[in-house]
Formats: sequence, structure tokens, C-alpha cells
Amino acid sequence: MAFNLTRRKFLQTASLAAASVPLSKVVSANTGVTKAPLDPKGTAGDKTVVGGICEMCFWRCQLVGKVRDGRLMKLEGNPKSIDNGIKICARGNAGVKLLYDVDRLKYPMKNVGKRGAPKWKRISWKEALDECGSKLKSTVDNYGAQGICVFPHGASAKYPMHYFERAVGTHNVSEASFFQCRGIRDTAYVATIGKAPGEKVDMPNTKVLFFIGDHLGENVHVSHIKQYIQGLQNGAKLIVADPRFSASAAKADIWVQIKPGTDTAYMLAIMNYLVKNNKYNKAFVEDHTEGFEEFAEAIKGWSLEKAAKECDIPAAQIKEVAEMLAANAPHVAIHPGRHVSWHGNDFQRERALACLTGILGAYYVKGGWVPPKGPKVKGVSWAKEDHGHKYNLNFNHEEDEKIYSNPPPGTPTELIRDCAISGKPYPIKSCVVWGQNPMQTIPNQQKMKDLFNAMDFVMCVDVMPTDVTAWADILLPEASYLERYDYIKKGTQWDLSKEHQQYIAARMPLVPAMFERKDQVYITNEIAKRMGHAEKIPVRTIEEMVDKSLASANLSIEKLKAEDGIHIQPGKDPYGIPEDFSVILYNDDLEDSGHPPAPTYKPVPGNPKGFARLLYGRAPVHTFNRSQNNVWLNNAMPDNPVWVNDEVAAKLGIIDGDTVGFVNSEGVKSRTTTTVKVTPGIRKDCVYMYHGYGSANPLLTTGVGTGVDDQSLITKLAVDPETGCHGMRNNFVKLIKDGKVLDIPA
Amino acid sequence: MQYGMIIDLERCVGCHACTIACRAEWEVPVPYQRNWVKRLGPTMTKDGMAATYYPGLCNHCDKPPCVDECPADLAEMTFKDAKTGKTKTMEVAATWKDPFDGTVQVDKERCLGCGACADACPYGARYVNPALADDNSDGKADKCTYCKPRIEEGLQPACVQTCITGARIFGDLTDPNSAVSKYVKNGAKGLEVKDGHIGPNSRYFGNKKDISLLFADYTPELADMGSVKRRAMMASMVKPAMRKAKDIGLLGLAGAMLVKGLSEDEKN
Repeated sequence: MAFNLTRRKFLQTASLAAASVPLSKVVSANTGVTKAPLDPKGTAGDKTVVGGICEMCFWRCQLVGKVRDGRLMKLEGNPKSIDNGIKICARGNAGVKLLYDVDRLKYPMKNVGKRGAPKWKRISWKEALDECGSKLKSTVDNYGAQGICVFPHGASAKYPMHYFERAVGTHNVSEASFFQCRGIRDTAYVATIGKAPGEKVDMPNTKVLFFIGDHLGENVHVSHIKQYIQGLQNGAKLIVADPRFSASAAKADIWVQIKPGTDTAYMLAIMNYLVKNNKYNKAFVEDHTEGFEEFAEAIKGWSLEKAAKECDIPAAQIKEVAEMLAANAPHVAIHPGRHVSWHGNDFQRERALACLTGILGAYYVKGGWVPPKGPKVKGVSWAKEDHGHKYNLNFNHEEDEKIYSNPPPGTPTELIRDCAISGKPYPIKSCVVWGQNPMQTIPNQQKMKDLFNAMDFVMCVDVMPTDVTAWADILLPEASYLERYDYIKKGTQWDLSKEHQQYIAARMPLVPAMFERKDQVYITNEIAKRMGHAEKIPVRTIEEMVDKSLASANLSIEKLKAEDGIHIQPGKDPYGIPEDFSVILYNDDLEDSGHPPAPTYKPVPGNPKGFARLLYGRAPVHTFNRSQNNVWLNNAMPDNPVWVNDEVAAKLGIIDGDTVGFVNSEGVKSRTTTTVKVTPGIRKDCVYMYHGYGSANPLLTTGVGTGVDDQSLITKLAVDPETGCHGMRNNFVKLIKDGKVLDIPA
Repeated sequence: MQYGMIIDLERCVGCHACTIACRAEWEVPVPYQRNWVKRLGPTMTKDGMAATYYPGLCNHCDKPPCVDECPADLAEMTFKDAKTGKTKTMEVAATWKDPFDGTVQVDKERCLGCGACADACPYGARYVNPALADDNSDGKADKCTYCKPRIEEGLQPACVQTCITGARIFGDLTDPNSAVSKYVKNGAKGLEVKDGHIGPNSRYFGNKKDISLLFADYTPELADMGSVKRRAMMASMVKPAMRKAKDIGLLGLAGAMLVKGLSEDEKN
């Protein structure tokens, strides 16, 4: 019998509602049974459907689908793309396995068990929406709009997030992409150059790439990786500071095996060396920076030797790096990073990166930080309304100023959780989770559970079950990125040295949504009607939202389809420093808020005796926890081996491939185990694992219990004083082997 | 001509796009694979700390040890040169090396599923998919075809098309002007077996420490041909008719549903 595994699994999930499976009508002589062709057909003859925008991660590559008899067989990069081109990564390629995942949410569900230990009952959309609408309305009626907190993530969460922020009027929104990821970077650069930096370094055309913890190669975003490799191919030197011999360190000219948490000290020494030795870019500093004298004075104590001691690296290597940067300035790419919520001192590190770029004059020049000039497309969403500061948790009413002076948009996560759990200064009684998995994005899982237990109502919207959906009262199934209109992606050609072009592409469905999955505009509008906001609804359908937005660029869904999914128009030269551009090296506003005006190193807590610092990072085949249940991606990297230094391993008596669990310095044990990777490529005082493994939800039949959930071990909270964002690398673990807790030798 | 593939480890970031694109293109079921990416290191080499990748696939060898071991009855096949239209007729078993493009291919209709070819391959580049068992076999051998059906349509191999850094380069190794030949001139080399010469045509290019790490870890040995031959002989002795009963046993629920569907069709 020729039923291959994928087809059998597909039949289980999709036979009822989906397109028919393309079986050829070959009948076995012996059994009279229809069997699949022995040789797969390949996708060359399949129908090409345009308009896909990937969302296996947030980079949003442009796709086409290969469709056979109504079934999406394969995803490819859109040949018209000037961004990712025909190339997509492992996750992008595995999108079809998300689409047809047997474990996907199919129907609205009501939890008739307990939060955290749910029993699911299928209900109608009407019942589900009535329940969400009445419960949320009741919260607003009894406690005010601030009684709702929202944890959104991803393209589909923007519209509902705007609804709750703008129309309903709650400040209590915590996006993981800001408070547990890049928010610190954005606000530190805003405080330095007036804008968020993205990852807009002109890598293909640079002479030196300078990475602090960036592990490109393990962290994969297609056009970004293209830029990185093109830079190296063009002869750029690569400097990587990382406690671990990362994928990038393996391609580096200089690997700086820095002690975790000391990066700012390292950069202060580099900057001080450049200033002291007159190796900074004087013309740029003269014309485009503010506060150089005060800045130079503030960092003058950072000798190479002082930093060498603090960072546990050779002074000569710091000098070598500084010299390499100076010799190639201004054509140096100081990468701003992406996930930067590490140690609770990260605003200062990001300020140091922005200032280092400044004194090297590496803004708006070839090979430096260069924002591409993209096309303008207006977003269409709920109308903005002013809801004042009265219920803004990040506002000190006595002092009449913000508590965290430089927060990213939303409200710092800990302020929301503390308020929700304590009921002070006001009650928060409903929680909306949309596309985020706060059990694994936010540190201290017990505190997250405490928040949910303090709620009158919890609703989750997602495409898949996750560890947080187990805490929902109502769980709603969303159409995936392959089944809905949605996000408008815009940008320029990936290599700034090539012909200047701009592109606009809108997400369009490659196949229709199956089962009872709905898009975010439908769900949000139906809830809004039930909460009494019918008259504020900005668009009736998601197509209308996309079409209205495209109209601002004289485009439409129809026009985009006729242009194979991507509109391309002439672009603009991005090089050249704007006249009013200024790098604020010494920021008086920060001083007024009680923070250091010049980048300042703040030491982080050291290792308790017998513990190693827990470091984590990206796996190239996964987007955090979201892709863990994907059968193809799970197979590619089924667990997250913990990196242990070879000398440490020898002392502990553990070898490569051993199975271990963990206990952290607060006594929290890992739920599961993983394997050991013994290597000289990590410092002795740390261990490292990929983030996002070890899901606890048994409804994830592939991903449950695979590897260890690093977030479960991150219980000790650190909060960045300027931004209110988390720092997640101040937690320490011991290994447990065969039930025995092993002390990490000093 | 001889098709070959270069893997440029200076460009490769180990992202697995190649392996997943292959699964989608050819519906390769987990846990089997036509190609793979293994992560090597970080480890200390004599040239310093190194970490790299082993993106592997069928080497479409000059002297493929898998082809010789196939026990299926020989059949006459006529091959055609896509460029010149020239033809050549040969007697081949269920797997062969194409006389014109140098690729190694499998005829699944005639494959016995014995696995002798998979055992003979020093690279582990073949697998037998038991889910494809039929009246004549216990399953079907499967492997990378260098995406021959795509090449014939004028497309790139799926792994090459999606490779995000352009680390995979495909072409004719006998054409001195091809990109792959240029890489070979610059030192790209295949993972040749220890103490033998089978001429792998998937070749690796990279810096000294990465290449030395790859070759130290993954230079294969030739398989024990004695056991391979025994397996092949056993397979050729088993009569296809013996499999009938087993075939029905393997049907399972999904198959039973289809049988029902078919018999209902007959009624109508």
C-alpha cells in the first residue's frame, strides 16, 4: 500500500473540509486499492498563486504558493521580489506544515475545565463572540477600560491591539517584541539619533562588521543574511563579541569571548581609546554630534586595561578592534542588535552602540548605518483617541512624569502584572492574548499564572495551541498568514549599492481558510459590536482594510494581483547625511530623568557559587516557540542541546550526548531534560541553549516536551531602569544528571 | 557531461532551507531525508577554533557503489542526451548512472525495496521508504535526483533555488566554464572515501579550518560489501507472490476507507 506518512496525516486533519488529495488513479492488481504514484510529481507543473507574505517569522519575505488540486504543496520566494528574491529559509519552506498541522485550532472552544488544566468544548462563533463581548464589556462597565490588559504579537494582532488601546482605551498593552526584545534598542537610539535603528546597517558595502551578541546564521532573516554574507564575500572584516563561539563567531576575523553583561565596558574602552588617540571622526563629530566634550570626560576612566579586567578579555584585543574600526571608518557597520533585553543594563549598551557609530562617523555613509528610503503606504486602523494619563501605570502622578522615562510603546510588563495580581492601584480583570505566548515570552512563569488566576476573563486568539492557550476561557481559531489578507510589506532592494527601487506587497491568501478559522478584522469587529463600539468600526472586512491602505499608494488588491503580488517603483539614493541629523552623545534629558547622560557601564549580578549563567539564543529552524510543533522543523532540530564548556564537563564527569535537567538559583527545576553538547566554544561560567523549546501543552503532539524550556528557568526578574523592559540573562543554573544536582566548578 | 553541486561553506550559514525545500518539493516524509545539514563543532582544530556545517546529499558518484548492488532483474533502457539528442541503450537494474548527465537515478516501479543500495552508500544518501511498499517490494529506495525533473523543466534544483546565501551551486563539471568547474579549480573537493576512489560529485569549498573539520569528521569508509551482497541476494530470491497477504495486512484504516470507496464506485 502506497500511503506515505504525510498524506495519511493530512487525511486525518483535512479530509472533511479540505481540498481533495491529489491521488493518481493507479489500482493495484492484488488489492484493488488506489495508491499514490511512486514518484512524487514535484511542483514544477503546479499552479502558481501570488501574494503570499511569510509570517513564519516577522521578517515577512514575499512568497508564491504552488497549489495542486486545491492543496498548497510548496512555498517559494516570489521571483519578482527585490528583497528575499526566490529564496526563503527553512521556516518559510515549512509554512505548508503549519497550514496543515493536525494540531491547529479549528473551532471556537470554551474551557469547561480549569485555567491551566483545560477541558475544551467546541462552541459556535456566535456563542464565543457573545461570551467575549459580554465578559469584556462587563469588565469595562465595572472597572473601566484599564481593567483590560492585552498581550499581542504579530501582524494579525495590530488591528485588535489598536481597538483595545484606542477605541476601548486601555494603556495596559505589553508587546513581547518591545518589552522582551527590541524595545530597548529602539528607545536608546531614539535618545541618541532621534529614530529607531532597525537593523539598517549597510552590510554588503561595509569594510567592518561589528556584532555584539548578534548570531546571524543561527538568527536567520533572509534579506539580512543575504546582506551579511555579501559583505563577507566583498571582503569585510567581521568582529564578533559573544561568550559563545556562535555561528557568526565561526566566520569572524576577531572573536571577542566577552564575559556576559560587560559589553558596555568593552565599548566604553574602545570609544575612550579612539578619543584619547585622536582616531575618531573629527569632521563628523564637529558637524553632527552634541556633547562630545562632556561625553569624552564621562568615559575617560575606561582604559583598555580596566575594560580587559572587567570583560575578561585581553587588552591587546580591545586595541586591535579599536584600530580596525578606526582604520576603516566611516565604512563600518556597528550592528544595533535585535533581541537586546539581556541584563537589565541594556539601554546603556544600546546607547554605547549608537555613540560608537557616531564617533566613527558611520551614519548615512556607505557601509555604515543607512536607512533605506522606502515607499509610503498609510495604515488603516481604529481612530486614535486621547485617553489621558490617569490610568497609565507608567505615570507617576505625584511627580507628574513617567516612571520609566524611555519606554517603548505600551506599558512595561511588570507594571501590568503587578497591578493585575495585587489589584493596586486599580483592578485589572480581563486579559486578551492575541498571537503572543506570554508563558514563554515573559520571564517568571509563576507570575504569569498568577496574573491569569486573578482574571475574571481570559481570551486567546491564535492559529495553534500554545502554552498560554491552556489558560484561556475562550479560545478562538485564527486564519493563518497563508489564508488571509493582511499585512502590507514595503521596502527597497536588499543591497543599497544596486539600482534604487522600492516595493509594495500585500498579504493575500494562497488558499482559503479551512474549518471555522476567521481573520482578525472579523473577530475584532464582532467583539466591538458587542462592546458598544459599532459606530467606530473603521473597516468592515480585512480586504477593505488592505484596499484602503493600498489606495494611499494608488494601488489596490486587484492591481497588485495583476503585478504578480509585488508593485515595484523607482527608489531614492539613501546615502548622504541629512542636514539636521545629530548624534546626542551626552543627553541632558536622560540626566533630568535620573539616568546617566553618557553611556555608562552598570555591572550585572555575578554567578552564585556553583551556578552557571543561563544564556539562550535563536535556532535557525525555529521562531522561538511558535514553530516547535512543525513536523519538518522539529525533525531538523528536535531538541536544544545545552552547551557546556569542555573543561567544565570533564570536571563534572559529563560527556557529549548525556541527558540533563536543570535547577536554577531560586530552586525552580526544568520540567523536561535535554542533551549535552560539550564544546570549547563557550565560556566556563555560562551554559547556552536555544530558546523556545520544551512546550508544556499536550495538544502540541509534536512539540510537547521536546528539549528544555529556557524561559521556565528565567524566574529572577531584572528590569531596565530607563525603559521598563526585561533583562533575561541574570539567571543561573546547575545541571541535574541521573537525579543528582551538579555544582558548576568556579 | 557530469552534473555536480558545490557547497560553499564560506557562504553557508547552516539554516536548513535546503533540506526543508527538498521535503516540500518531493514530499519526503519525516524521518527520511534526501539531503541533510549537520552542525560541526565548535571544536579546536590545528588552525584554531572552528564550527561549520555538513550539508550533504547524494554525490552522484563517478563509480557509485550503490548501483552495482541492485539485485533487481536487468531491463533495457534507452537514455537520451538532452543537448545533442543522442541516445544510448543499456541494460540496467532498478538503479543506474545516467550515461549522459552522470546522475544516479532509481526506477521505483522495479525497486524491490531490499535496501542493499542504501547499505552500500558510504554517505547514507539513500533510504527505503516502507510506506511505499507494493506488490513487488517491501518499500522503495529514494534519494536525491539532483532534481532531474526540475532541471528538465529549466529550473534549478529546489535546494539551490532556495539557498538564502547562494551557497549551493549546480552545473556541469565537464564544462570548464561552468561556475562549478571554477570552484573545483579553486579547490572544491568531494568527500572521497577512505582508501578508495568512487568520485563524489557534490563538492565542498571553504576555508582551511572548516574544510579540515568537515573532512576529519565525515570522510566515509566503503561499506562492508559482503553483508550488502547477502542482503541483495536474499531480496532477489523472495518471490513477489509471497507478499500478497502481507499487502492486505498493511492496508490500515485509511486504506480500508478507500477500498470501501472504490467498491461503492463499482456499484454505481
